[in-house]
Amino acid sequence: MAWANIKSRPVSAAIVLGLTALFAVSIGIMYSMGSADLAGQDRQPIAFSHARHAGDLRIDCLYCHRAASVSTAAGIPSMRTCIGCHQNVARDSPEIRALAASWETQQPVEWVRLHRLPDFVYFTHERHLESGLSCVTCHGHVENMSLTPRAASFEMGWCVSCHVAQGVSRDCWTCHK
Amino acid sequence: MDVRRRTFLKTAALVAAGTALPGCKPEVHKLVPYLLPDDEIVPGLALWYASTCDECAAGCGVLVRTMEGRAKKIEGNPEHPVNEGKLCARGQAAVQGLYHPDRLQGPLRRDRRTGDVLPVSWNDVVTELATQLRGAHGRVVMISRPVSGAASLLLQRFMEIVGGRLYWYDPAAEVPLRTAVQWLFGMNEVPQYDLAEADYLLSFGTPFLEQWLSPVTYGVAYGRMRQARPTVRGRFVHVEPRFSLTAANADQWIPIRPGTEGLLALGLGHVLLAETPGRPANAHGTPYRRLFESISLTTIAQHTEVQEDLIVRLARELAAATHPLVMGGGSVSCHTNSTRALVAINSLNGLLGNIGKRGGVRFFERETADSPRAASWLTERTMEELLAQFRSAKASVLLVNGCNPVFGMPPAVPIVETFGAASFVASFGQFFDETSSHADLICADHHWLEAWGDGVPHIGLPVRTISLRQPVVRSLYGTRQTEDVLLDVARMLRPEHIPWDSFHNLLQTQWGTRIDSMPDGSEEVWMRRLQSGGSWSSSARTLSPTDTSAIVAPDLPSFVGDERQFPFLLYPYPSMTVGYGGAHLPWLQELPDTLTTAMWGTWVEINPATAARLGVKQGDIVRLESQAGTLEAPALLYPGLRPEMLAMPIGQGHTAGTRYERGRGVNPLRLVTGAFDRDSGALAAGATRVRLERTERKGRLVLLQQPAVDPEQLIRIDSRAIPS
Repeated sequence: MAWANIKSRPVSAAIVLGLTALFAVSIGIMYSMGSADLAGQDRQPIAFSHARHAGDLRIDCLYCHRAASVSTAAGIPSMRTCIGCHQNVARDSPEIRALAASWETQQPVEWVRLHRLPDFVYFTHERHLESGLSCVTCHGHVENMSLTPRAASFEMGWCVSCHVAQGVSRDCWTCHK
Repeated sequence: MDVRRRTFLKTAALVAAGTALPGCKPEVHKLVPYLLPDDEIVPGLALWYASTCDECAAGCGVLVRTMEGRAKKIEGNPEHPVNEGKLCARGQAAVQGLYHPDRLQGPLRRDRRTGDVLPVSWNDVVTELATQLRGAHGRVVMISRPVSGAASLLLQRFMEIVGGRLYWYDPAAEVPLRTAVQWLFGMNEVPQYDLAEADYLLSFGTPFLEQWLSPVTYGVAYGRMRQARPTVRGRFVHVEPRFSLTAANADQWIPIRPGTEGLLALGLGHVLLAETPGRPANAHGTPYRRLFESISLTTIAQHTEVQEDLIVRLARELAAATHPLVMGGGSVSCHTNSTRALVAINSLNGLLGNIGKRGGVRFFERETADSPRAASWLTERTMEELLAQFRSAKASVLLVNGCNPVFGMPPAVPIVETFGAASFVASFGQFFDETSSHADLICADHHWLEAWGDGVPHIGLPVRTISLRQPVVRSLYGTRQTEDVLLDVARMLRPEHIPWDSFHNLLQTQWGTRIDSMPDGSEEVWMRRLQSGGSWSSSARTLSPTDTSAIVAPDLPSFVGDERQFPFLLYPYPSMTVGYGGAHLPWLQELPDTLTTAMWGTWVEINPATAARLGVKQGDIVRLESQAGTLEAPALLYPGLRPEMLAMPIGQGHTAGTRYERGRGVNPLRLVTGAFDRDSGALAAGATRVRLERTERKGRLVLLQQPAVDPEQLIRIDSRAIPS
């Protein structure tokens, strides 16, 4: 049915209008329920602050993300690494109480993942650290960011611009194996 | 169409909203840390473990890639003497079995009255097994897949304790070949056919590039025979009624009349003896003469439909070769005269003087951990005896370990009746299948990637080899390794006979005796053996076959069914992809059969000339009927088949089992009548005559490629051979 014919058919026009209204209402409901709240999704179950740990306390990145220099993945610290310090440090803060509770129940904290490369991208931390890059080059000044340390888009153009600047391989096979 | 402003806006808004909707809520990925750091596991770094494949009895060495404690990929172990780094499709697909959604996740018990299958605890399983076995002492039968090494030792000890008989069952065991080798050489082993060093190979029906005995070993050796030597490229002639993948690799394929392969061997020997007076250069002169000169060449040419001049040429080529080698099996092993035909075929090696020689037929002593055979092979003929024993209450409890005889044996064999006659049936395996659907107790076994074990390769190898299997991942569900369950039961019955607390302990004890005799310590050597996947350092002692003159000339095969009523010969062959036990894996289901490119089902191969005469087109559903049953499947026009034959792959048509196999395709064994190889008692799967009827329906034939059947591709058809 052509749209132009709607005017001559009041019933069809009513249906179209009704559907549009329904659609608008459902979008509204979705927004009100927070599914469009993109920032909210990044909220971690425990408000871990990189600014505090890497900034104020000057803990080395590799102390927690120790796989970064040997593996593709940087890894996240095991619960014992956290508890190792926090059985003595800042035990009274509400966040650390939540951490201790999860250690006691042996239920690991489910962190929200902020960086995720698609499956068709091959990236290795080891190679980049080996070539002398520092963590800050890609991850930004994490020591100044408290809750959501997202510094870059980690999209292809961003990767390539650095590869161009550094004069390293731009072969497709380097990243898409 | 008249598009107005409002219309345009409405459409644009709709499209924009449609695109935006899926982006409303991006998927949230979680990062879940370990509670305790694992010293070995670094996220993103792979760990490789050596183990031994258990998808068939060959026992290839494998390296398994694991990431964060999950098995990801299986490759061949480059140092292992069985497969030298190569691995077949079934080995590659094993990882899919580990994560299969329909794996048994714990033991089950069936209520015989209501038929309900309910979960049960492992404690109850062990208690119930012990009670049943105590009550039935001396009346126990166990049908097990063939195992070796520590598992074999345990099964034999277990059967001594419960008092019963142990049978090995494997539909691909080549029992007629084993019987023939026993007759001819007095050996209870499958010899090493040294392809790699041969310069002329005559193969009678052996699908050694597909699934025969140890296909990866033969594949590697075949490559050597053809390409590894700078000046010699071995010549290869293959004799088989159907153009198999192995036949496709040969320099010449001889489409012989089915079941007459032994006669062709007689003809070749006949010519060899006549043309080279010095032969044979051993003590067998008289029996060989009696064997090979018993039938005239003209008669042989008539029966085999291989022309006399071709027989003479083949014999001369054999005589002229430096290292000629003759092998038989596969399509030869599925007739009523199999053992005798294989005796004649293997005798040619004796006549050519290549027994015990490089490039010939050699026997090697196998690692002693495989204790002497206290078990015999279960053949289809044995089932009739077993049924009688169960009916007369000489046997009452039946245990089935890791095999599926209810699927592998045709309904014409009384297997289901035997299960029904048993007072109690327990099955051990990873999946619910035709066999466990007749069991009272279903014990969920570990996948081999979760299990301990060791094994001796079942074909002779010049290196003394014993492979190790170790769990590369922690078991995913509440399954238990069968060996551990049997140990618990045995301990309950006779604690003094069971000094080991687990199968791992038994295995290590066994290896301890082996390691202690070595110069350099024990625990460290054990770890090194685990790391390398076994032990294969020393060369194996050569065994010389005993002289035997038990040579009997092969007779003509007999077929069940009247030729006028059932004009075609049915040739069921094990599918190279799914085989007898791989249909539950989608990776194998979607692997095209190499020559027909068909997958995901069962088909009936018909020679295009026959199909044209009958008016059957590609993909038409045809109905096959034998004295034993009826089935329907789509027709596939296949030029590489004798016109009087209809070939079907075995492997589909499961009535019970996982979601990927149940109700898919048909099992050609339903047509097979209960005819056996006269001497070994193995099923003569190719001894059934069938009739073909057209239906008006089209079937779903899943092909990778539609073959163009060109008249020039057809094999030469003798019009007399086409049944009318």
